Amino acid sequence: MARREDVFISLSAGLTGYSPVRLIGTGMCDQYLAELGKVLSDGMVDEFLSAYARPPADGGCSVLKVLRDARWGPVARRVMILWYCGTWTALPESWHAVHGASSADTDHVVSAEAYQAGLQWVAAGAHPAGARQQGFGAWALAPEGV
Amino acid sequence: MVVVGSGISGSIIANELSRAGKTVLILEAGPGTDSSLVEYEAFLTRFYDAAVKDNQSPYAPNPNAAMPRSSDAVRIWPGQPDSSTYLVRNGPLATDSTYTRVLGGTTLHWEGKTPRMMPDDFRTRSAYGVGLDWPLTYTELSPHYAQAERELGVSGDVETQTFGGITFEPGYVYPMRGLPLSYLDTVVAKGIDGTAVELAGERYELRVRPFPQARNGIPNPDYDDGRGFVPVGAVSTNQVEEGGRCQGNNNCVPLCPVQAKYNARKTLAKALQTGCVDILVQTVASKVILDPVTGRVSGIEVKAYEDPVSPRHTTWTMRGHVFVLAANAIENARLMLASGLGSSSGLMGRNLMDHAYLLSWGLLPEVAGTFRGTNCTGGISDLRTGAFRRQQAAFAVDIHNDGWAWAVGSPYSDLIQMVDQENLFGARLRNALQSRISSQLQLAFIIEVPPSESNRVTVDPAYTDQLGNMRPVISYTLPDYTMRGASYARQLARRVFQCLDAADHTSYDPEDSQYVTYEGQGYVIRGGNHLAGTHIMGTSPATSVVDDRQRSWDHKNLYLVGGGSMPTIGTSNITLTLAALCFRSARHIIQQLRADASLTLPPDAPSDAA
Ligand SMILES: Cc1cc2nc3c(=O)[nH]c(=O)nc-3n(C[C@H](O)[C@H](O)[C@H](O)COP(=O)(O)OP(=O)(O)OC[C@H]3O[C@@H](n4cnc5c(N)ncnc54)[C@H](O)[C@@H]3O)c2cc1C
Ligand code: SF4
Repeated sequence: MARREDVFISLSAGLTGYSPVRLIGTGMCDQYLAELGKVLSDGMVDEFLSAYARPPADGGCSVLKVLRDARWGPVARRVMILWYCGTWTALPESWHAVHGASSADTDHVVSAEAYQAGLQWVAAGAHPAGARQQGFGAWALAPEGV
Repeated sequence: MVVVGSGISGSIIANELSRAGKTVLILEAGPGTDSSLVEYEAFLTRFYDAAVKDNQSPYAPNPNAAMPRSSDAVRIWPGQPDSSTYLVRNGPLATDSTYTRVLGGTTLHWEGKTPRMMPDDFRTRSAYGVGLDWPLTYTELSPHYAQAERELGVSGDVETQTFGGITFEPGYVYPMRGLPLSYLDTVVAKGIDGTAVELAGERYELRVRPFPQARNGIPNPDYDDGRGFVPVGAVSTNQVEEGGRCQGNNNCVPLCPVQAKYNARKTLAKALQTGCVDILVQTVASKVILDPVTGRVSGIEVKAYEDPVSPRHTTWTMRGHVFVLAANAIENARLMLASGLGSSSGLMGRNLMDHAYLLSWGLLPEVAGTFRGTNCTGGISDLRTGAFRRQQAAFAVDIHNDGWAWAVGSPYSDLIQMVDQENLFGARLRNALQSRISSQLQLAFIIEVPPSESNRVTVDPAYTDQLGNMRPVISYTLPDYTMRGASYARQLARRVFQCLDAADHTSYDPEDSQYVTYEGQGYVIRGGNHLAGTHIMGTSPATSVVDDRQRSWDHKNLYLVGGGSMPTIGTSNITLTLAALCFRSARHIIQQLRADASLTLPPDAPSDAA
C-alpha cells in the first residue's frame, strides 16, 4: 500500500488544483497530516485516506467521491482551505453530532510557516514558487500571464 | 524632563532633547524590552498564529494598559453606552479606531502613509468658513516637515507631490525616491487619468498619483545637498542586515516582517544611544500633579506593575523640570481629565477628530495583480481641496493593493465562499480564486472630519480599568459636512468603476456597528485610526488648550504633544504632521530651558529626572 503522505498529497492535488510537486514544494505536508491527526485522530485520518485510495466502483473520480461523501466531504473541504491559507476551520456542529466531537477542532492557524505557505498567495501571483516575496518594486510589473 | 509615552511623538521629543544634552525619563504604560529583534519576532509569530488577523493581533491583551481593538465596536443604542471593552463608547457612532500601548506605540502597526497637509488645511475657517484656523501656517511648518521626512525615512518624489498648493523648499528632494506605483494603480490610471468632474462650479481632472510613504526604497543621491541618505533597517541590540528595502509582502498593517517600514523604535534606539534617556516600561501615568502655588506641574503619579494580568502595582511620583504628555490624543486627554485638569478653556477632550473612511469595492474585467506590493501605493488626490469645501468635506482616495481585505476579509472570505458555498475544488477553485482575487479593486475614501466640540473624550469614575485608572469615554458622531462628502464619494466610486468597466460589489450591511444613514442612503463608515484634536492649539487660552508650540496655556512647564494638538486634520494621515509639530516643540523646549532660568525644581522634591 502507498505511504499515507503520498495518498494525502495525491488527494490534496485533486482538491486544490495544484500539482503534487507544487504541494510537496511548500514543505507543509507532514505538518498538515499531523494537524489532521490532532483534530480527527490518526485512525480516522487513515480511514479518510483509504476512502479516497479505494477506486470508486463506478470508475468515476475519486476526489468527487470523497467530496460527495457525507462523512468525508466536510473534512476534504477543510483540507482545501488548509492548503490555501494555512488555517484550520472548524467542522460543522452537525458533523460532530454524527461523527464524534473533537476538542482540537477550532478555527486556528497551524503555524507561522503555514500562513506564509498558503496557496492563496500563489494563486494571487503574489509569491511565485520558491520565493516568499517578490522583492522591491516587483509589484509594478504585470502579473504572470498578463 | 519627563515624557509620558514612547510612541513617535514621545520618541522624537526624547531624542531631540537628549541630543541637546538634557536628561530624559520616558514613562511607558505598555510592555517592551529594549528594542530587540527577538521581541519583534515574537510579535510576528503571534500575528501569524492568530486566526483573526485584526490589527491588534500581534499584541497580547494587557488589562493594566488596555487598548481598543477594531472588533470591539458594537452598535450603540441611544442612552446605552457600551462599556464592555476598554473604550467606553457613548455613541451615537461606535468608533472602531485603535491604538497600541506597547513600547514604540501605534507606529508598530501603522500603514506608513506620510502626505503633508495642504496649506488650505491650516486655514479652513478663513478660507471656507468651516472648522478652525491653526495658529501656524504651512510655510512655518514646512522646515519641520522636512525634519520629519528625514526621521521617518520617507520615499517620495517632489514632482508628484507638488499640487493643491503644497510647495517645497527650492531644491528639496525626499530622502528616498518614490516607491513605484503598483500594476493595479496603472490599470486604474489607464481608465481614469484625465477624467473631469465638476464640483461647486469648478472642474477637477482626476489622475492616479503616488503617496509618499515611510518605508525604505531607493535612497535619493541628491538628498541633503548631495550627501544622500542612509535608510534605517531593522533595529536590534544585535546588528542584523534586514529591512533596507521594502519587499512588497503586503503585511504593513499590523507589522512589517522586515522593518522596512518606519516605527518609533527606530527613533527610540537613537535616543537610547545618547546615554541621556531612560525608559520605564509597564509604568502607567495616572495623575498629573500641580504645584498649588505656581500652577506648574510638580510631578506625575505613576502605577507600575510587574505582571500585565495582575492588578498588583506600586504607586510613586516622578518629578522633573518639564513634562511632556505624548500618550496620543485619547490618552493625553484621559490623563488630564482624570487629574481634574479640564483646561481653563473647557476644551480638554473636545474636538476629537478622526478621518472617516468609506470603502467601495468592485471587480475589474481583467487580472490586475491585486495582492502584490505594499498595502497602498497610489490613489486620487485631486479632490483634497477646492472651493467645494465651503459645502462638503474634501477627501483623498486610496487604491488598495490588498484587494477587498478591509471591506470583506479577502482573500480568506473568497476562499470560504468558493469552497463552502460554490462547491468549487481542483483547477476550477484555483482558477476562480486567481481571477477573483487578482482583479479586486477596493477604493478607500479618506474623508475630512472638521472639529466639533461635542465629539469628545471624557472620564467617569463609574468606568475604571484594573489599576483603578478611569477609562476614556468617547462621544462621537459625523457631521453633515462629512456625510455630504461621503455621499459624493460614493457617487464618484460608481463613476470610477464605470470608467474601468468594473462590476460594483459594494454593499453596506445595516447590521454593521458603523452603519449610518444620510439623506435616505446607508453607508458603513470605518474609523481612520487618525486620532486628533483633543487638546487643540490656538492663539488664546480662552479658545484652545495649548499654544502653537504645544505648551499648555494653564501650566507653563507642561506640553501636550501629538495629534491632540491639531485643530483640523484635512485629508492627510496625521502622523507626519504631528511628527513635524514635535520637532518644532522640541526646538522650543530646548530654547526655553536655556532661556528660562526660573524653571527650578521644587526644593523638597527628590529628583528622579533632571
Ligand atoms: C492600523 C493603523 C494604521 C495607521 N496608518 C497610518 C498611516 O498610514 N499614516 C499615518 O500618518 N498615520 C497612521 N496611523 C496613525 C498613527 O499610528 C498615529 O498617528 C501615531 O502612531 C501616533 O503617535 P503618538 O506617538 O502620538 O501616539 P502612540 O503611537 O499611540 O503612542 C503613545 C504611547 O503612549 C503610551 N501611553 C498611553 N497611555 C499612557 C499612560 N497613561 N502612561 C504611560 N504611557 C502611556 C502608549 O502605550 C504608547 O506607547 C495608523 C494607525 C493605525 C492603528
Ligand atoms: S510591504 Fe512588506 S516589506 Fe514593505 S513595508 Fe510593508 S510589510 Fe514591510
